[in-house]
Amino acid sequence: MKGFDPKFTDLPDYILKITKEIWEDRGLRTLDHYYARDIVMRFPSGIVRGNQGVIDGTLATLAEMPDRQLLGEDVIWSGDEDAGFLSSHRLVTSGTHTGHGIFGPPTGRSFTIRVIADCAAKDDVIYDEWLIRDYSGIAIQLGFDPLAFTRAEIAREGGPEKARRPFTPADDVPGPYASRGNDNEWGQRLADILTRIMDKDLTVIRAEYDRAVRTEHPGAIGGWSWDFAETQWMRLRSSFPSAEFAIHHVIGRADPGQPWRAAVRWSLDGRHDGFGLFGAPTGAPVHVMGITHAEFGPWGLRREFTLFDEISIWKQILLHTGDI
Amino acid sequence: MKGFDAKWRDVPHFIIGITKEIWEDREIASLTHRYREGLVVRSPASVLVGNDRIIAATMATLAEFPDRELLGEDVIWCEDPARATDATDAYLSSHRLVCTATHSRPGMYGAPTGKRVAYRILADCAIRDDHVYDEWLVRDQSAIVKQLGFDVVDWTRQLIAREGGPERCVQPMTPATDVAGPYDGRGNANEWGQRYADIVGRIMAADLAVIPAEYDRAVSLFYPGGQDGLGWSDADQFWMGLRAAFPDATFRLEHVIGRDDPLMPPRAALRWSLHGKHSGWGRFGTPTGADVYIMGMSQAEFGPFGRGGQPAVRREWTLIDETAIWKQILLKTGAVQ
Repeated sequence: MKGFDPKFTDLPDYILKITKEIWEDRGLRTLDHYYARDIVMRFPSGIVRGNQGVIDGTLATLAEMPDRQLLGEDVIWSGDEDAGFLSSHRLVTSGTHTGHGIFGPPTGRSFTIRVIADCAAKDDVIYDEWLIRDYSGIAIQLGFDPLAFTRAEIAREGGPEKARRPFTPADDVPGPYASRGNDNEWGQRLADILTRIMDKDLTVIRAEYDRAVRTEHPGAIGGWSWDFAETQWMRLRSSFPSAEFAIHHVIGRADPGQPWRAAVRWSLDGRHDGFGLFGAPTGAPVHVMGITHAEFGPWGLRREFTLFDEISIWKQILLHTGDI
Repeated sequence: MKGFDAKWRDVPHFIIGITKEIWEDREIASLTHRYREGLVVRSPASVLVGNDRIIAATMATLAEFPDRELLGEDVIWCEDPARATDATDAYLSSHRLVCTATHSRPGMYGAPTGKRVAYRILADCAIRDDHVYDEWLVRDQSAIVKQLGFDVVDWTRQLIAREGGPERCVQPMTPATDVAGPYDGRGNANEWGQRYADIVGRIMAADLAVIPAEYDRAVSLFYPGGQDGLGWSDADQFWMGLRAAFPDATFRLEHVIGRDDPLMPPRAALRWSLHGKHSGWGRFGTPTGADVYIMGMSQAEFGPFGRGGQPAVRREWTLIDETAIWKQILLKTGAVQ
């Protein structure tokens, strides 16, 4: 890989190895090299700018859960050495909440959740990023109700005036990575499926998903077959029925010895004007950053992994209603 | 698919298709021709002979769990030229299913609990002439029992009583109760099957170092009792706990399939057995010295993220029937009250 340290054989190897080096091997200062000085990291919970902020965030997380393990399930990628790569990296991360931090005083409980990180990489450096972790999945496993947890978080951050603002397009800082992915058919296929779901054409799930599909969604919940996937997507869309759906980045891959895979980053932007996952409609303006990974098989979409951050959605609702 | 109904495109289509038609579409009577008369269906809990027994067992299950759905996750299969004839092709299919159901009527699991259950089955079916003619099946019984809210050992004790006590209860599958069938193939010679067979063989020879060497660090694991795991240590703990309970038992690979289909991960399906004394501390408590026969099945998907860029096991499914193991232990120790 031109521009990368020769110890990395390909992009997935680079992503898997630097993740381990940074977190589990405690190489926080490798971020001085692996992360661009002025990187923009977009989390649903807000924007972090600059690699020094990333180092501090990593340190704070490790101080709160020192045994945190990050297992890379897949890297679905596009691009090349010259234009820059985009790696959509799906991880399963587990840990024990033994220190103080954003989850409050230590609960001693353990969690296992998924994270998907979209990282732009070039010349051995990550220079742009979008990252969603299953924040409500952690909160639930630590014993908190997501809504009550969000209220407590707002209080910990100094109340509604001072609390950190979740990510919205208005706050976004454009980074150097501007590609929209690749044009592989499997990426288009997943993008079409998501678009039809968001157009409320729910028949697409029975048409395109394997009957034995396994679907993993936020809150660390998963289920079998069509009805689980349908229910999850209906409840999300029904919470924001008039919101605008947009697709931002699409990757498809057909690698030898691997299933067909796809990674799509998307958003829903609009009002909380329906029942679904977030209680009675409040009219709050809400931005939902989402990433979906899929594996296809001979009988349709076989495994679906979707993340959005329910806590950041609750936070936007609570900051709007003032029901703190 | 010479010898099969023209509506079936391939082996997975046939297997997934007849499973749905028999169970969910209620074509139970079709078992009279879809299952060979006199066939043997072996599960760890029992050896059934004859398709009339299969029809009865199917109806008993559906009477207890009427809304049962059988979701076919994968079919890992091989050709079986030795048992093909001029009239028909022959195959061995290893079918991995997820079943979901509600325990809404009384039956072998006891009075209805109203609980929803989800559990896996691995079923090896020998097929030719448009029917199944030999079968081996492992159902994750302890997953069902636990999800219904029972303790696995207590439930097994009660099952022995419901079946008429230690003398009269249904005897688990052992070499003594097994009935030989027409299929005696050993699988195919595909490298992925051999590779996985070698891995499990090394584990059973106490070479647990094979796990970090041959499994993806982020391996997803699906084990008996509905126990899902992740990463090397969960794989280590499962296999260690099993082998530790039967350290002197004889391990045998009964059947090995590997497949490398285009745009699918390389896959493998194993059927194996562990036969010997319950002579160690491990997954089954205090050693009792009981003679135990375990029929196990394992499937694996390989991925690209092994050591040094080598392929590695990325997902693994292993099933044994823990209630059948406890039944053998309880019948031996007499701790049935």
